[in-house]
Amino acid sequence: MIIDKKTEDDGVIMMSIKSGEKETAPDKEKEASGKDHVTILAIESSCDETAAAVVRDGREVLSNIISSQIALHTVYGGVVPEIASRKHVEKVNYCVREALSQANLKLEDIDAIAVTYGPGLVGALLVGVSEAKALSFATGIPLVGVHHIEGHISANYIENKDLKPPFVCLVVSGGHSHLVVVKDYGEYEIIGQTRDDAAGEAFDKVARAIGLGYPGGPKIDKAAKEGNPDAISFPAAKIANAEYDFSFSGLKSAVLNYINIQRMQGDDFNKNDLAASFQKAVVDVLTEHAIRAVKEYGYDKLAIAGGVASNTALRQSLEKACKDNNISFYSPSPVLCTDNAAMIGAAGYYEYMKGVRADLTLNAVPNLPLGDRERRFHGRQSL
Amino acid sequence: MKILAIDTSGLTATVAVCEDDRLVATFSIQYKTTHSQILMPMLEKIKELTNLDLKSIDAIALAAGPGSFTGLRIGTATAKGLCLALNVPLIAVPTMDAMAYNLYGVERLICPMMDARRSQVYTGVYTFVPEKSEDTSLYKYVMKTVLDQKCASIDEIAEYLNEQGKPVTILGDGVPVYLDALEKKLKVPFSVASVSQDRQNAAALCAVAAQYMREGKITEADSFAPEYLRPSQAERTAKENQKDTVAAASGNGNSSENSQGALEKTFGMKIPKVKERVFIRLMKAEDIDVAAAQEKENLGKEAWTLDQLLTASTRDDTIYLVAEKSGKVIGLCGVQNIQGDGEITNVSVAKDMRGEGVGYKMMRQLLERGRGIGIENYTMEVRSQNAAARRLYEKLGFKSDGKRPGFYDNPKDDAEIYWLRKQQ
Repeated sequence: MIIDKKTEDDGVIMMSIKSGEKETAPDKEKEASGKDHVTILAIESSCDETAAAVVRDGREVLSNIISSQIALHTVYGGVVPEIASRKHVEKVNYCVREALSQANLKLEDIDAIAVTYGPGLVGALLVGVSEAKALSFATGIPLVGVHHIEGHISANYIENKDLKPPFVCLVVSGGHSHLVVVKDYGEYEIIGQTRDDAAGEAFDKVARAIGLGYPGGPKIDKAAKEGNPDAISFPAAKIANAEYDFSFSGLKSAVLNYINIQRMQGDDFNKNDLAASFQKAVVDVLTEHAIRAVKEYGYDKLAIAGGVASNTALRQSLEKACKDNNISFYSPSPVLCTDNAAMIGAAGYYEYMKGVRADLTLNAVPNLPLGDRERRFHGRQSL
Repeated sequence: MKILAIDTSGLTATVAVCEDDRLVATFSIQYKTTHSQILMPMLEKIKELTNLDLKSIDAIALAAGPGSFTGLRIGTATAKGLCLALNVPLIAVPTMDAMAYNLYGVERLICPMMDARRSQVYTGVYTFVPEKSEDTSLYKYVMKTVLDQKCASIDEIAEYLNEQGKPVTILGDGVPVYLDALEKKLKVPFSVASVSQDRQNAAALCAVAAQYMREGKITEADSFAPEYLRPSQAERTAKENQKDTVAAASGNGNSSENSQGALEKTFGMKIPKVKERVFIRLMKAEDIDVAAAQEKENLGKEAWTLDQLLTASTRDDTIYLVAEKSGKVIGLCGVQNIQGDGEITNVSVAKDMRGEGVGYKMMRQLLERGRGIGIENYTMEVRSQNAAARRLYEKLGFKSDGKRPGFYDNPKDDAEIYWLRKQQ
């Protein structure tokens, strides 16, 4: 994985992610016959990352451009929707142009345009959706609406060419904590989810409370490496009578209480120990639930997805647990765990192959549910 | 010359297509549906009913703000997508200019106003001036801007109009909201535009855009951002909280200056330049050579080498800023975040630029941006004998916390250890 990174004058970081694998020689026969490949241009703008990518056949990433605004939001301790939306508008054409140029393709070579239409920040989503609709309208290229989380899950297909449904996927990010059974391409069943805060949200809040700053996930991960995970015992983030659900709000409160008590008593606490202990409490419950789900549903594959999936402690814990239980473990590279458009291209490919098409009324849906939703827009199939 | 115009700045979604002096289609909807759902179907309908070949379009015209933030973005992202796919330029027309053009030929003052909430309106003042052609009695009207579009309180705009002492016609979605207040405050004769003229109308936008096009006033779509006339709430609050943040020279101004030449080249026209001032911005790879040379000149043997600078500045936990004047790097500073403590690793200003506050300006930005990557306290070492530098750091709030005797060589000097702690 090679990442070309460039910080622009306005603090936005432009990244181009390349697999680093040697390019396979183009198959002359296939090229000649023309339509053996399906090439998707994907656009993602659901939060603070403007991204565009070109993906071939759902698995091969021809280009993957991410324009990250994170530096602009750190000042405010979290993503400011209005600022994010404004930056998306400024960057979106650059990303699309760069994605096409790095893939060495023109719009005419694209078979479908996939775009994230939810869930996410509505103002942010609208930028990608409007851009994608305009591109589709102007060129006649079919449009496919993609669910952001299904994109995260599909990030696993990019580097694990052998991964095929069915499998269980643990989705953990700033906005989501879900245990999902991927029954088939594009068929998802949620078997467990958080009752309150998402895992990433808990990381952010705890990081802020102990003064590590934003974004919390990587900061806690880093501090925890220096700390003792067994120093403080926090309650498990579980819910009684709901075997696959999580609750991180109680754990977060326990951490905050601990800090307050220490401060009131005038005692200093070790930030690193606290970070490590909190992280362990989160990782333990995620691991336990995920492994139990794979076993009880009778599958032999577990994948992880979402921003928190790049947490090293979580990856290690799941890897070990999977090994102990004879489960194949799949995870995307950390850079594919964060928001990107390549994953939208992967998910969009399988939607496209199923005949899913969006028409020009496609709207941003900030709380779009996963899996069970009206996904077939009987609009134009193609022009 | 064919122009497709889009205006989603207000409650009305409106699109139009004109070809030379002929309005081919215009379509406006002010209904409950969101712009996001209605805009593209409107365009599609026009395309279908007028057999519009999109490839024949020469430019996309856009109401470029102010307006509803979300509305502006739907219009802008759509226009950008169209420009990219069709490979045509953008014509960005200020929303208020296009609205005023609805009242073509009106010799009174024209004052469009959009409700901007909090007792404010987006507004501007315009009028039409007749110009008689020489040999016939045909008059043509030219629109003049009396007051550039801005965000103003109702009191402010009413006072302005009273000062002008001329009859005025008002229009826009701000009218029904503030009519009562205006009736009380306006002393000049005023009327309200009829429903056929009182909202955004892409046909008027098309007419203004056609003029822009003839004058060569076109914009490059990729870098275009709408004119919001208002910062976001978060930025407003942050600004109020820390009144004297470094608001001046941010990187943005610089980027527009850099793209200046490119723009002029692309569109073959002069674009007025901003006056020269010192910009503080993030260090880029192409600055490294100059920055390293400057370090060497200032610090001699203690200077960082090019490699050191390059490695340090590309890390995630560092921030490196440069000061730039007239396209030349004149200063450099950098900080590294070590678990919340920011170690200031470099500070230098070109010899001929000292004493002009460049260091102060640069450092203020560095401290501010550093907080953004989680730095709470700052520390650095400085030569005890370097009085100018010590004054600068003390002015920034740094306090001496001790000495490292004989830390520096050539000449031998102590290092003063400075800290700027969060609570200070």
